[in-house]
Amino acid sequence: MNATDSNTAARAASRPMLHTAVRAAEQGEFKPKLKINGLNFYYGSFHALKNITMEIPERKVTAFIGPSGCGKSTLLRTFNRMYSLYPEQRAEGEIVMDGEDLLTTRRDVSLIRAKIGMVFQKPTPFPMSIYDNIAFGVRLFEDLSRREMDDRVEWALARAALWNEVKDKLAQSGQSLSGGQQQRLCIARGIAIKPEVLLLDEPCSALDPISTAKVEELIHELKTDYTVVIVTHNMQQAARVSDYTAYMYLGELIEYDVTDTIFIKPKEAQTEDYITGRFG
Amino acid sequence: MSAVPAPVGVIDSRNPLYRSRRRVNYFLLAISALALSFGLFWLIWILGTLLYEGGNALARATLYYQMTPPPGSDGGLANAIAGSLIMVVVGTILGAPVGILAGTYLAEYGRKGWLAGATRFLNDVLLSAPSIVIGLFVYSIYVARVGHFSAWAGAIALSLIVIPVVVRTTDDMLKLVPNSLREAAMALGCPVWKMITLITYRAARTGILTGILLAVARISGETAPLLFTALNNQFWSTNMNAPMANLPVVIFQFAMSPYEDWRRLAWGGAALITLAVLVLNIIARALFRKTD
Amino acid sequence: MVTTEHISKQFDTDLDTTRTRVLQMGGLVESQILAAIKAFAAGEAAVIEQVIENDARVNGYEVAIDGACNHIVVKRQPAANDLRLVMAISKIVTDLERMGDEAKKIAGMAKRIHNSHSSLAQKFPSIRHAGEIAVRMLRHALDAFARLDAASAAEVLKADSDIDNEFKSVLRQLITYMMEDPRTITPAVEMVWVAKAIERIGDHSKNVAEQVIYIVKGTDVRHTSFADIERELAQE
Repeated sequence: MNATDSNTAARAASRPMLHTAVRAAEQGEFKPKLKINGLNFYYGSFHALKNITMEIPERKVTAFIGPSGCGKSTLLRTFNRMYSLYPEQRAEGEIVMDGEDLLTTRRDVSLIRAKIGMVFQKPTPFPMSIYDNIAFGVRLFEDLSRREMDDRVEWALARAALWNEVKDKLAQSGQSLSGGQQQRLCIARGIAIKPEVLLLDEPCSALDPISTAKVEELIHELKTDYTVVIVTHNMQQAARVSDYTAYMYLGELIEYDVTDTIFIKPKEAQTEDYITGRFG
Repeated sequence: MSAVPAPVGVIDSRNPLYRSRRRVNYFLLAISALALSFGLFWLIWILGTLLYEGGNALARATLYYQMTPPPGSDGGLANAIAGSLIMVVVGTILGAPVGILAGTYLAEYGRKGWLAGATRFLNDVLLSAPSIVIGLFVYSIYVARVGHFSAWAGAIALSLIVIPVVVRTTDDMLKLVPNSLREAAMALGCPVWKMITLITYRAARTGILTGILLAVARISGETAPLLFTALNNQFWSTNMNAPMANLPVVIFQFAMSPYEDWRRLAWGGAALITLAVLVLNIIARALFRKTD
Repeated sequence: MVTTEHISKQFDTDLDTTRTRVLQMGGLVESQILAAIKAFAAGEAAVIEQVIENDARVNGYEVAIDGACNHIVVKRQPAANDLRLVMAISKIVTDLERMGDEAKKIAGMAKRIHNSHSSLAQKFPSIRHAGEIAVRMLRHALDAFARLDAASAAEVLKADSDIDNEFKSVLRQLITYMMEDPRTITPAVEMVWVAKAIERIGDHSKNVAEQVIYIVKGTDVRHTSFADIERELAQE
């Protein structure tokens, strides 16, 4: 059992990860935005991520799939250093964005988090008005006039396909919206600060099908401006929404390829088993 | 082929097992109701006595603007009411911020390490410390040193009672704020202190306010600490450096006296304090329910 | 190829049932073609009528299996090998149905040839020979499908050129015949159609084999030269 595991890992690590000219030509340009190198992650003494090496392309949607506990959310949360809030969690290795290693940088972590936004599984509107929810993040780094802030709020809500529904009640509490609206509010809040990367941690799992469809449509539009990484346990969603998909299992990266390849002709038997529901 | 049908009569009100359960149920309900009535009985008696005895005094307007009288003459509780108000307010102003900040530290920063755990433990001890001990403490470090009683000492003693209450409630209320809210703020690039003040406090504000109100209700009626710190004052005084009249000590003094007038005033004061505490509790409840 | 079962037993059952049906349909088509060719050579009226009647059963299979594929797609959203299997089955079934149609046509032409009391058919054993090659191709293709064996499927692709060559030679012979004796033109033309039908049956078997390669390897080898296919298969 152990021998085959390490074999798989070795093969996966040595297999060129999407630099080939053929793939780049198929998918348009593949410019890496985030380069992850030998990332290991620990919850206390538990080794949660094992030697992850991959590149996240710019302005594309990359999906992480895998069974529960495989480490996909953990991996996502290393990108914006969310784990730094918890002393028992630590990461080793390298995540390079724009020439800077996010794990060991001396800069203030909040600057990183402003460039790498995150939307969580459960919608978390702040206990304030819809307007203030959006303005909160903007006010952290920018000093805008009232007019400019109004414009920014409108722009963010319009981009999140929420403007028409809330334009007459911007002063109402963010918590008075429905679940799907709250999630879109959180997405609007995330893009209002104009990050470069958007991390979505199972953004639709608490939503009904119509809201899910709206959010998926939104993701498709967002990728023209942002690099999007989405964690989902819904494989069909990954197939619909993403350009590249990474399959993870027990903390290891098993396969990472163009989405069509993963879902039509995956290279690893493990990947195929998971995708076709032959698990366990 | 259908499943085996349930035997006739099991799910039926004539089932003996069911009936014995019902009997036990009624029996226990009856006992609970009796216990409730027992408790309510005393409660209502106390309140009733208070309002009955003190009602007369409360109804007289002189209570509110005349000073505490020398024995045998008519008067009011104006200086005592004012003194209590002043010391309660000052005590809260001194104690609440300390309590909130300490509670914030415990909930937000003290996740790991021994300091937070030890602090919580000590806080719980202080919370249930007899207030007379607090009074004696302030007496020995302050009153004895400066050589005279004062309202400052009284306020300090009261603040020392406020602090553990506010620390506890702030800690609990902040811990109720879901982590997802904090993470959502941090994910926008928010520095920790801003996240605490703008998001977490906002989310927990009614809970924290309720805690403060409960602390105020508690110190309104504390007698022992004031006995050793502010003592009492027959006359109107707003000098914080001198002894100041206050309701609890006045009640203490007047209630056991042989003078009819004084005793009546004592009842009035007791009823006043009780009503004040009642009102504060109602406000605290109404506020807390408004969170939703 | 894949030995583990789905978590959903129902899914496994659906797939197995559909695959079995495809093989049953293939077997029926195979017997149809054999019977049609025999009838062409010997001219038994009963066999001819049987073939023509049975075609309705072949069509029924096509409709049923396509319906089953739709059902699987909507219910299971199959991915990877399951997806390739279902998509391929849908196409294989189309080819099988067309083969059934060709068999029916051969039977019809056999009827006309023997009604005109022509003995031309006996003079061209090569057509029957080509027919047997075609049936063999179908059998191997179905066998490759049953075992999901890409190498066997590739062999089928090779055999298609044999049938094409046979067809060309038969055509030459028939043209010579028609030129020598114009009275034989009518039955001879019918024979040409029969030869053409057999050639088409060979093409359809080739399609089935290509689909089998797609299921197993995930590579679409339609419209690719045989040399390229061999190279592709050797790579894995």
